[in-house]
Amino acid sequence: MKLFGSAILLFMPAMGLSAQGIRDSVELEPVVVTASHTPKTLKDAPVVTRLITLHDIKIVDATNIQDMLTQEIPGLEFGFAMTQETSLNMSGFGGNAVLFLLDGERLSGETMDNTDYSRLNLDNVGRIEIVKGASSALYGSNAVGGVVNIISRENLEPWTANANTRYNTFGNEWRNGASFSFNTEKWNSQTSFQHTKIDPVDLPKAHTSEEIAIELMKKAQGLPYDESVLSDDSNISRLFGQKTYNIKERLTFRATDRLTLIGRGGYFFRTSERDTYDYHFHAYSGGLKSRYAWDAGRHLELSYAYDQYDKANFLPDGTRTHDHDYSNQQHVAHALYSHSFGKNNLILGADYMHDYLTTYQFLDNASHAQDNIDGYAQFDWNITDRLNVVGSIRYDYFSASARKAFTERLAVVYKIPWMTLRVNYASGFRAPTLKEMYMHFDMGNMGYMIIGNPDLEPEKSHNFNLAVERTNRIRNSGFLDGRYNFTLMGYCNIFDKRITTIEGPEYNGMESALYWNEEGITVWGIDASLGHIWDCGASFKLNYSWMKETGNVYYSDFYQPRSHSLTWRIGYEHRFSRLYALDAALSGRCQGKPQSGRTDVDQGYTIWKLMLQHHLWRGIRLNTAIDNLFNYKPKSYYYSSPLTTGTSFNIGLSVDLDQLL
Amino acid sequence: MMKIKSFLTMSMVAVALVFGMSSCGDDDKDEPEAPVANQVVGSYTGTEVLTVMGEADESTETFEFTKATDVSVDVTLPQYGEGMMTVPALPVKGITLTKSGNTITGKLDKYEGTVISADGSEKAYTVSDVTVIFNDKTVVMTFTQKYGNMPFAFEGVFTGTKK
Repeated sequence: MKLFGSAILLFMPAMGLSAQGIRDSVELEPVVVTASHTPKTLKDAPVVTRLITLHDIKIVDATNIQDMLTQEIPGLEFGFAMTQETSLNMSGFGGNAVLFLLDGERLSGETMDNTDYSRLNLDNVGRIEIVKGASSALYGSNAVGGVVNIISRENLEPWTANANTRYNTFGNEWRNGASFSFNTEKWNSQTSFQHTKIDPVDLPKAHTSEEIAIELMKKAQGLPYDESVLSDDSNISRLFGQKTYNIKERLTFRATDRLTLIGRGGYFFRTSERDTYDYHFHAYSGGLKSRYAWDAGRHLELSYAYDQYDKANFLPDGTRTHDHDYSNQQHVAHALYSHSFGKNNLILGADYMHDYLTTYQFLDNASHAQDNIDGYAQFDWNITDRLNVVGSIRYDYFSASARKAFTERLAVVYKIPWMTLRVNYASGFRAPTLKEMYMHFDMGNMGYMIIGNPDLEPEKSHNFNLAVERTNRIRNSGFLDGRYNFTLMGYCNIFDKRITTIEGPEYNGMESALYWNEEGITVWGIDASLGHIWDCGASFKLNYSWMKETGNVYYSDFYQPRSHSLTWRIGYEHRFSRLYALDAALSGRCQGKPQSGRTDVDQGYTIWKLMLQHHLWRGIRLNTAIDNLFNYKPKSYYYSSPLTTGTSFNIGLSVDLDQLL
Repeated sequence: MMKIKSFLTMSMVAVALVFGMSSCGDDDKDEPEAPVANQVVGSYTGTEVLTVMGEADESTETFEFTKATDVSVDVTLPQYGEGMMTVPALPVKGITLTKSGNTITGKLDKYEGTVISADGSEKAYTVSDVTVIFNDKTVVMTFTQKYGNMPFAFEGVFTGTKK
């Protein structure tokens, strides 16, 4: 607490500053698109939308979406899946029940039911929008527990160029990036490149192997020994080193005042250096989009998107083993028509997706494919200035399973002078994946089969939430003068036909697990958010999340949701002179004890981070950070432990060349 | 007579001293101690516990420690599992030994190798964090083994006695 007090005192002289990120979300009425597929100000969005602004991204200096969300969103936690690939848990939902979009487009491929989050680097990202709860009526499969939409930045200056580098003592991590953009009357181009490298990190065990052996020897000799030394519950002893390369390009051509064409492409490579093999991951993406606007109230979008995600294993000598080859390719065509009738708006949309998967997890490395066709409609009805009703309906058909899904949403927003009230019902679904339908895999060549099930039905969810929001200004009250925002949301998400594995039939003398639709769970929760920006500039934001599961709840080593979690940020920025400005933030996150009641691991933890961004001469920024300020070290490392071995330090440099030259 | 008795006594003392000292000298003479590896090599039979993801599997196994150099030994971790669900025996080479009192401790950070699996393919493996303690005829060994593409590591503990 003394340290905390000192940290607060450290900030006191700087009162008189502003925290741009919190200001953006509280004061400037930013525009969001994810909740309704159309641009709306945050305060008018039909569903509570959590916005992470460009300033938030810059001050946190996050490398990828995992770094960012971990620090900003309570109730969200990244852990490990079995292969030490990253696994998400968001308010009781796993990675395959939360849809991640990049500029509204899906990403192909998965590992242990999770997207490769390291693909989602934050170089050239303008904002991130998070809608909790089901959104399948707009986004289709996987939008069961929420949608995270990462939206690229579009620079409008004639040209920009940036080079940046950052070093982190944790794993001797290096991140190097560069971006370039130009903008003319007709053309706009955004190019970005990022490379990261992190060394393996040996996680300290509670006791060394020698200490354990010594106690074992005492036990073997019938001498008194320390039992606690023999019960080390660590599941993970080493984090593998890895490298990533990520390059993206987006080119916009404004053909006429009415017609805009956008082309994009990207390549991603990651290598994970394992004990026995190196895992290689490649992703290729590309797309074309055209937007034709008859006028401000009527436009048509047509687009095509391609995304491919490949995996392969290599021996240390560089030889490809071909026993872990995987390739998922998705072709998606979209059409969207938007028509405004005064204050009201109608959207009609349709998509076609061809999903192809070949993997070592299929019998004889076979391939399977399926087509998904959908159509949807949404009407945004502003009945009065205070009352807004948004209704959506969608139909999806999946060829491989011959399954269909109807989803719908009804959102009501009612504004009274001192409060905005939101009531929302939405259904969600997740179609069985090709992997879940056709898997035929001897896990790790260990004689334990995992068998797919072509008869699986889609998972379904029904999400109800009720939210109140108040944004207001306090005047003439002295210390509290400024603007504040308070949001309280209660929700219930009934999740049924959950796809999981059960004990399967014996297969050629081997035990097996079979994919199956299980009875579901009901997730109850409360999210609360409080932000305040003082006129003098200091700012504070606190987010709290409570969650409880009922029904057919099960926990595993990889799934340990927590009932209570909290994130917070105290921020300020101040320009001291023409040559120097400081942007500072003290943030933290607190995760409560696992809901499972598991007691052999830490019963929760709190991690603080201090970030200082020094704006120097002409676009030169020096970023420094101390992560895990109070040196928290897990008692033992298991799949839901935070990735820390204690306090670590960042230092980074970013140069805007266009301002320098 | 007295002189003769004294002389004999003195002679016996002298002889005793000479032989005694000789005897003492023989006792103190440093026979070269057997190399530390020679003191521990052999077969040890006992209980092996392999733990993966919190699940422990216990079995009776024999670990054969063989001499690599005077100050290091090799050991082969026994085969685990049955049929296709088999991890073959995994040789671990170059465990460095040090002696302190009656205890000999062996350490090895990491050993990487390849073996032929049950399906005939070559698999890479690593055994890391190895500690072995020998005391009298008892041995304990702790290690972490990773085999092929298995996504998880086995934490191993062996406690055995020399035959």
